[in-house]
Amino acid sequence: MLTEILSDIRYRLRALFRRQAVERELDQELRFHLEREAEKYLKQGASPDEAMRRARVAFGGIDSAKEASRDGRGLALLETATADLRYALRSLRRNPGFTLGVVVTLALGIGANAAMFGIVDRLLFRSPPYLREPDRVHRVYLVWVERGREVIETTNQYTRYLDLRRWTTGFSDLAGYSNRKLAVGVGQDARELEVSTVSATFFDFFDAKPVIGRFFTTSEDTVPVGALVTVLGYGFWQSRYGGRSDALGQQLQIGTVSYTIVGVAPRDFDGIPDDASPVAFIPITAYAGTFMHGTRVPNYYTGYNWGWMSILARRKAGVSLAAATADLSAAHERSWNAELGLNPAQTPAAIAHPRAIAGPVQFERGPRQSNVARVAGWVSGVALIVLLIACANVANLLLARAVRRRREIALRLALGVSRRRLAIQLLTESLLLAGAGGAAGLLLAQWGGSILRALFLPGYASGSSLADGRTLAFAFLATLLAGGVTGLAPILQARRADLAEDLKAGARESGYRRSRIRTALLLFQASLSVVLLVGAGLFVRSLQKVRGLRLGYDIDPVVYIYPNTRGAQLSDDAHAALRRRLLDAARTIPGVERATLGMTVPFWDTWTTDLFVPGIDSVRRLGEFTLQTGTPEYFQTVGTRILRGRGITLEDRRDAPRVMVVSEAMAATLWPGREPLGQCIRVDADTMPCTTVVGIAENIRQNSLTDDPGLQYYMPVDQFHPENAVIFARVKGHADDFKESVRRQLQPLMPGDGYLTVSSMSDILRPQVRSWELGTTMFLAFGGLALVLAAIGLYSVIAYDVAQRTRELGIRIALGARIDDVVRLVVSDGMRFALVGVAVGGAITLAAGRQIGPLLYSVSPGDPLVFGVVAGVLLSAAALASALPAYRAARVDPNVTLRTE
Amino acid sequence: MTDERLELPQGTLDLLILKALSLGPQHGWAISERLHQVSRATLQVPQGSLYPALHRLERRGWISARWDASDNNRRAKFYELTRTGQRQLKTETEDWRRLTTVVDLVLGME
Repeated sequence: MLTEILSDIRYRLRALFRRQAVERELDQELRFHLEREAEKYLKQGASPDEAMRRARVAFGGIDSAKEASRDGRGLALLETATADLRYALRSLRRNPGFTLGVVVTLALGIGANAAMFGIVDRLLFRSPPYLREPDRVHRVYLVWVERGREVIETTNQYTRYLDLRRWTTGFSDLAGYSNRKLAVGVGQDARELEVSTVSATFFDFFDAKPVIGRFFTTSEDTVPVGALVTVLGYGFWQSRYGGRSDALGQQLQIGTVSYTIVGVAPRDFDGIPDDASPVAFIPITAYAGTFMHGTRVPNYYTGYNWGWMSILARRKAGVSLAAATADLSAAHERSWNAELGLNPAQTPAAIAHPRAIAGPVQFERGPRQSNVARVAGWVSGVALIVLLIACANVANLLLARAVRRRREIALRLALGVSRRRLAIQLLTESLLLAGAGGAAGLLLAQWGGSILRALFLPGYASGSSLADGRTLAFAFLATLLAGGVTGLAPILQARRADLAEDLKAGARESGYRRSRIRTALLLFQASLSVVLLVGAGLFVRSLQKVRGLRLGYDIDPVVYIYPNTRGAQLSDDAHAALRRRLLDAARTIPGVERATLGMTVPFWDTWTTDLFVPGIDSVRRLGEFTLQTGTPEYFQTVGTRILRGRGITLEDRRDAPRVMVVSEAMAATLWPGREPLGQCIRVDADTMPCTTVVGIAENIRQNSLTDDPGLQYYMPVDQFHPENAVIFARVKGHADDFKESVRRQLQPLMPGDGYLTVSSMSDILRPQVRSWELGTTMFLAFGGLALVLAAIGLYSVIAYDVAQRTRELGIRIALGARIDDVVRLVVSDGMRFALVGVAVGGAITLAAGRQIGPLLYSVSPGDPLVFGVVAGVLLSAAALASALPAYRAARVDPNVTLRTE
Repeated sequence: MTDERLELPQGTLDLLILKALSLGPQHGWAISERLHQVSRATLQVPQGSLYPALHRLERRGWISARWDASDNNRRAKFYELTRTGQRQLKTETEDWRRLTTVVDLVLGME
């Protein structure tokens, strides 16, 4: 039995790899047989020719004997597949233009999808590397009701974390982490890098082992201050320490403190990253215990004032999600009541309804999903549509080609090729084209993917999309889909081929019929293009509107400077003096028009304190009022307009009467219908002297671009914590050009290890508009691509039709029609497509419009301007695509066309 | 003469080839001639179907092939029975005899 199998394999291998030799042997063997048989007849007296003829007759069919032998080799399937492949390659090589067109079209479609899949995968699907049993790991969201609205918070207090640890039973472990940008290193090399502060239990959530050294233990992660140890990220270890093992035991300055390196994390271990790979991990209690912001830090593990960290929980085996959620909610309620005990002004649990959500680890899959992720999802859908359009194009091209090859196909059918074989051969061609398109598409995805990653996921250090198994698998599936879909059409054609008709017909037809399939494909493409372009238009208008929003301050020319003294022990007065020095120095920098002190930065941080207004029992219930401090130049530097009264002046010194400027909305809220100027407010406590309102400023947007209540007030910096100030500078030109020179000029003024963070306001605002910018960019790019593909499709169809109708057109011209008439005839054909496409596409968009509404800003999904422009664009493209072939055809001499067949 | 020729039942060609080779290595034409002679020209074996059968047997390892000079000094492909081939011949011959005996019994039924 075994020998039979071995012999079988050996035989087949020989037949496969030494095919030429085997064929030669077969030929020789049969020839020998015929010669000997012929000799027999020769001896009987026949002539050589007669003898050979009788030998052949006696033998039977030589070719079928050869075929039967070949079949017996057991390689039939492989050989036919190879033959099909070779045939397909040959015929594709004969039409390089067609092949190139198809491959490029498919590459664009498949590449776009593979690239977008990589993005969406990272955002939504992929769990962080090394995470053990990801479906049992949850991110904890705490939910409660505040001022009538439900609040879902993902960053919470350390005390809450401890409470949840104490009072839940359904989880095998909890961990906490917070990713911060901290200054790493010393001196001029100090840079703000991403550092992950984690609890010791954090590492237990992962299946990662340190490359060298160890992770931290629970005894190193204790309140009030954890041990000053750190685990380096792999990439940082390689770049900063050259991957040497003597990095262990060295000291590294992180933030205000020096840490000892005790281990290195494995490659690609990022913990749970926000948007950048952390360079180091430190115990969360070490960070919280040593962290100094220049303000008083409350007891982070007993009080509830500071919400800053994310909480993870691993569900016990056998505990359902519902049970775990209930467990968490109960623990949150207990924690809430504990907080109530410390702070009686807190809303009671009966009104706040504290509960919890055990969400997926991926942030973008939870209840606080950002707009960016939503846009990414939409863009993936768009990419899929582009792929479909590309497939439709390719199908059309293949169909046109199949019609041209009708004679060849009919001939081969007549020669005995079965329809099934023919269909398989045509399918092989399509799959080959799709394969080439897929490979080219992957390359495109690799290149385009890095661009997309820079747009959607800035801050990620690594990430190759080519070597990614899931993207490869996805691209493979997309290729199969494309191949199958595009190959379907010609196969249908082959099945319906009528032998006699096709053999008789010349290379051209006498009359012309436009295939219904091709018409349908074209309409499909046109309507989809309309959908995409309308989407693009809506995003463009949203972006316009967002960019045109009056924010209440200027963005482009404003630089923001934050001094970080990094733990240097300075008195409050010394801090204030430092700020003054920096301010004066900033004013001397060339290019700086004005500079001021401030305290908060819009979209970065806010500050609130208690306010008391005579006649109002609780100011807090009316809303959240945020404060800003400033020097006299504040309003001109930042660009906020004073509407009435005055701004801050030089007279508002520390000991002068207390004054403030309030925003218009705040004035209307606190003193509706009354004169706000001159009103009295008490700041911080009911017993403080009056702070008089001396001016009204315009509202600014500092928490939300789209719906900020605009409740702000401004106080002179000398009268309110001047030691906490930051510096704003207004430059002549764009802030980005001045950041580095400002930093260099001011850095020498910083004491000791202190350093400056210099940003432009546009840096800070960029994330806010990102979702609209992304939507605009991607929809425009893909919509444009779709339009180009559809136009090419239309062009090819019209060109083909015109070629078919040459005789008819020639007759028309011969009968006196002008070239313009002929062109108009053809173009109106093309326009008809476009019109139907606009109608259908428009209907689809209106129907789907409601889904995209939340992503837009102040633009209705049925915006008539957008629809009008898109319709115009499509019709012009259609006109152009049809006019070109029409002109070309109309210029041919009618004599020529009428005579040829 | 054609009317008296019998068609070969399926699968028996292999058996006959194995038997023919049991007398010593031969090339394809010689086997064809031998079968023709021995069966007294009664057997209708299309010469063309011989070669696919030979190659099939070669693949199964029951016969082995080598190229050698034939009696008229031309190169020919000689086939030889292998040891497994010999065993197969014995098995198939026994099977055949048993089959024909049973069929005779059934045909002899009254």
